[in-house]
Formats: sequence, structure tokens, C-alpha cells
Amino acid sequence: MKYFVEMVGGTHEVELVERLGELIVKVDGEPMNFDYHEIDLLGQVVATHDGQSYALSVEGGKSKVRVTLAGHTYAMELEDERERAAHLAERAARGGGGPIKAVMPGIVVEYLVEVGAEVAEGQPLLILEAMKMQNEISAPGPGILAAIHVEAGATVAAGDKLVTLKGLETE
Amino acid sequence: MFRRILIANRGEIALRVIRTAREMGIECVAVYSDVDNEALHVRMAHQAVALGGTTPAESYLDQAKILAAAKATGAEAIHPGYGFLSENAKFAQAVTDAGLAWIGPPPGAITVMGDKIESRRAMNKAGVPTVPGLEDPVDDVEQAIRDAEGIGYPIAIKAAAGGGGKGIRVVRKPDEMASAFRTASGEALSSFGDGRLYLERYLDHPRHIEIQVMFDGHGNGVHYFERECSIQRRHQKLVEEAPSSAIDEATRAAMGEVALQAGRAVGYVGAGTVEFLWEDGEFFFLEMNTRLQVEHPITEMITGVDLVREQLRVAAGEELGYGQDSLHIHGHSIEVRINAEDPINGYLPSVGTLHNLRAPGGPWVRLDTGMYRGMEVGLAYDPMLGKLIVWGRDRAQAIERMIRAIQEMNVGGVMTSLPAALTVLEHERFRSGNYDTHFLESLTLAPPTEYRQIVAAAAAMHRHLLARRRALEPQAGARAAWLERGRRVSSAVRRAADGGPA
Repeated sequence: MKYFVEMVGGTHEVELVERLGELIVKVDGEPMNFDYHEIDLLGQVVATHDGQSYALSVEGGKSKVRVTLAGHTYAMELEDERERAAHLAERAARGGGGPIKAVMPGIVVEYLVEVGAEVAEGQPLLILEAMKMQNEISAPGPGILAAIHVEAGATVAAGDKLVTLKGLETE
Repeated sequence: MFRRILIANRGEIALRVIRTAREMGIECVAVYSDVDNEALHVRMAHQAVALGGTTPAESYLDQAKILAAAKATGAEAIHPGYGFLSENAKFAQAVTDAGLAWIGPPPGAITVMGDKIESRRAMNKAGVPTVPGLEDPVDDVEQAIRDAEGIGYPIAIKAAAGGGGKGIRVVRKPDEMASAFRTASGEALSSFGDGRLYLERYLDHPRHIEIQVMFDGHGNGVHYFERECSIQRRHQKLVEEAPSSAIDEATRAAMGEVALQAGRAVGYVGAGTVEFLWEDGEFFFLEMNTRLQVEHPITEMITGVDLVREQLRVAAGEELGYGQDSLHIHGHSIEVRINAEDPINGYLPSVGTLHNLRAPGGPWVRLDTGMYRGMEVGLAYDPMLGKLIVWGRDRAQAIERMIRAIQEMNVGGVMTSLPAALTVLEHERFRSGNYDTHFLESLTLAPPTEYRQIVAAAAAMHRHLLARRRALEPQAGARAAWLERGRRVSSAVRRAADGGPA
């Protein structure tokens, strides 16, 4: 099975092949002498690579995985080949637009942009208050604000759709 | 000494107070909101009183409920911790009026120090240096240029009604004054409806250095030296250390004396912190925090003094019993705050269940936290989950020890500020000791690149094993086997019907 592992700074291809009961690991095409042992089912893992030992903490589900190693946490998104193809097709169809969801529960304080307005990449769209802190939610890419899904002042849960961006026509 | 005290707080600071109180043979009463019914402070106290409610206003800020809990349990004193009601002069008064001891300063001192203008006036009167500036607004550009000569450049023009950095202009030369004055005035008028401006010296690269003080009710006071808290972002401290590498022995003594002067000027009793801005050898009073502070443990580590014990002794009417001469700095201490936030993603708050915790250990490592496995980290309260504190023989050793401790630690379920602290500690500039309050915000944070392949492989293995476990779950397995049998039978039937070999 081949996985595309995306993290800040780039994507790695990890291939896992079971042969004669052994799991062969390849990262970016290179075979890796990698052993992975779950200590408990709560996330404690010990891994070895070329004789070096690594105490990892691994958490998450199928597509979002966080690994903590030596004090740093790596947040990753995983796709297998089928999911990657589906996601690429979906992204192409949207032209870079799509819904923007709340990454955390909070209260929508105010919108900084009106429906129909053109926005640039990184432009703040709204302010979401969580844990007494105000956070600006910015446009992931250029586009037109197509819809606002929750009113200012409303409480949202993580994953709720906030606004929808329509990608700019590229033709 | 008290027989029983109530702790009007939650989280790590409630535990901190309970621990010392238990060592002193004092019984502890915890109070808790509905969301905190499993919290560690509830489990570690002798008694716990439910306040009900989920928001702070319904629980830890509800003065009547807390006073009723104290009465009902026979507590003789209330420790407010930090935050919540700790700097509420009315509550301090209500506690005293109810015949209980308030483990904190007198209400009058809280009131004066809680007001920016009043405290500045009081400090000026007491001879405590404040940031050079004018107490009254300036009328026009000509007056601003005249006054600026007396204050000294660079000058910050600030909106009298301002806050949040709006309406602030920095002027470095007199000929920049006119245009800066005009734009600042316009911005102040549009933002606050009040165009009045005042002038203050602008500190370009200040360091935040604070002095821990303690006064008893008999006129004695000491300071426990300084803490350096310049590693901060939007005034939220992240890494603190003691002593500061910026000041020498003479400055330390001078700052300590000035801090005591500030406390005496307001009739202070108990533990307090006098915060200063320090720049190029000059220091100026910023504010006084009239409570125990989050970062108090680093002072405990270098002096060997249990500050909560001193608070309790002083509140019970005891004398300090020692003078400044008996206090010395021993070694170096660093504290790192563990906040539920994602530093790589603009410090966005992070929520989740702490399903996996790995605490660091080893010599001279201290973890003050209310975290436990299974704890829900939500949005109702402060995102600070705890503090990691280390001690070392010198600064270099303390830094290495903290790096080691952070690398051992894992908080599974939420993102934390630990990677940001680690980046600070590994940075050459921090190690050199030459940093200021802008340092943290200037850092770009990213995990190191050398382990990318390993963590990517681990993530893939995680998914692979997750899928295999799901397939092996008894029910799922039985269903898969049943489907598989069905397929085999139907294909056999089909093949038979086609006349092929069965």
C-alpha cells in the first residue's frame, strides 16, 4: 500500500509491502530499515531505524496523524492512492475554492469581508474567538466569498462550515 | 497557623497550594465547577464543594458561592491563586468582612496597583522610576516637540483613551513629530472617539524583569531577586528564567530595593511581583501584580524558599523571621509554560482529550500541572495546562536540562506550546542571553527536517495497524468471513450453472 504523507514543508511517499510476513517500508522510493512497535494502544510507540531508537507518540485516525518526537510535534495528513486521486479531482473541480471550516469550537465575532467580495490569499475573512483569544481566519487562496454560513455572534463547533470561497476563474 | 483553608481556584495553582498546605498539616477545601468534577484539585483536597455551573462567572468568579462554601466547611482563610478573584479588591474585602483571613495583600493595595494612572502617580510619589513621560495629554505639535526634549527620544505618541497598540506612533527625531502627531491624532479620534495624545519614552528593545517581594504584617519585607520574562508573545509569557542574564549585582540590589519601596508605598502585605522594563542599564516600573504569579517556582528553585508557605505564614500573622542578608541566589532555573495551542499555526487554541501523557523525570525537574489522562481540554478556561521547571548549577546546564525534559515529555490529544519553547532554548540568541521582548515573535517555527522520513513512516505504520486492527475486530471479522463464505458459495453456484468445474 502506498501513502502520501503531507506535512509542513512537503509530501513524502511511504510504501508498505507485506512480504513473507515481513513489512517492507520504503520512503520516497528508498527502502528503510524501520521497525515500529506499539507499546500500548494509547499512542506510545518505540521505533528503530538503522540501529537508532526513537520514542514516539503517535495519535490520530486514518487521515490525520500527529507524531511527537523529541519535543516536536509533526501534524500530517495521509492519503492512499485512491483518496489522493479523488481529492485532486475535487480540488481541480473547485478551482481552489471550497468551504472553510472552523478548526476549533468558538464564537464568530465578526466578518471582515462581505459576500461577493474578491479576496487575496492570506486575507483575513473573519474573527473567531476561542479561549478568550481572537483569531483571524484567512483565505487559503485567492477567490470570491460566495457564502456566509453562520451569523456573527453564533457559536460554532470544530468542523462547522463558516464561509464558502469560490475560486477565481483561471481561463 | 490555620487548620483549614479554602482554595478559590482550579488547575495547577490549586494543586500547588494544596501540596504546601498538606506539608504544613493544613486541611484543604477545593471548590469546583461542573466541568471540573474529576479534576485533580478536587481529588487531592481534603474536602471539595461543588459550585455548579460551567462558566467562570457561575463558578470560580461567584463570590457569594465561594464565601458560602468557606462558611459551610469551616475554612479559616481563602487562597485565591492567580487569575479569577485574586486581584479583586471587593472580594478581598468581603473575605475579611466575613471574618476570614485573605491570603493576599490588603484591598487598598490591590486597588491602587490595579489602576494604571493611579499606580503611576503613587510610584512617582514614592520615588520609583516610571517610563519617562507626561501624566497629562499634550495640546499640539509645538508643545509635543518642547516636551519631547525633556523626555528624551525615541518618543512613543499614545492615544489617551487607547489600548491594543492602536494610535501609537514612534518618533525618533524632532522633525518627524509633526506628521506622526497628525496621524496618531486622527487614528485615536477614529478608533476611540478621543483625539487626545500623551507622550512617553519609547523602549526599542526592552527586557521584562520582575522582582518577587514578600511583606509580613509587622513591617518586614524582603525580595527574592528577579525573574526574567522577556520570552513572550502578545504579553503572554512562554519561557521564564531566574536570575536574569542582563543585570549585574548592583542593578539587582537596586531593583530589589526599589521593588520594596513600591510595596511599602501601598502598605503591601503578602507575596507580590513588581514588574520592570529594563533597557540599556535603565529600569522603569511597569506594574505590580498583587498575587502569587504563574512563574513563582523559578524563584523557589534558586532561593530554596517555598513561597506558598511564606504566604500562609504571613496571612496567619507570623513574622517573616529573616532578613535580606539570609537570602542568596543558588544556580539557575527555567520555566516553560505548557499551553494548549498550536504555535506553528499562529498559536491557535487546541482542544481535545488527553489520552496519552508522558511526564519527564530525572534530577532537578519539576512538573506543576493539573493534567491527567482522560482530561478534556476545552475552551471554558485558560489554555495553560501546566509548567515545566528545571534547576541547573548554571544557566547553560539549566538550558540543557530543560531541552532534555521537553524532549522526554509528551502531551497527547492537543497541540502544545512546548515545541515553541524548545525552539527558543535551542536558539543561539537565547543561549547568548542577549534577547528582548520581541524575540519570540520574530522566530519562525517549524519542526526539524532531519526526522521527516521517520515520522512519515511512523504515520503510515499507524494507519496500516489501525486498518488491520479494525479488520480484526471480532464483529467486523465475523461479518467479513460471512460475506466471504457467501461469495464463495455464490460463485460456485454460478460456475456450476455455467457448466464449469465446481
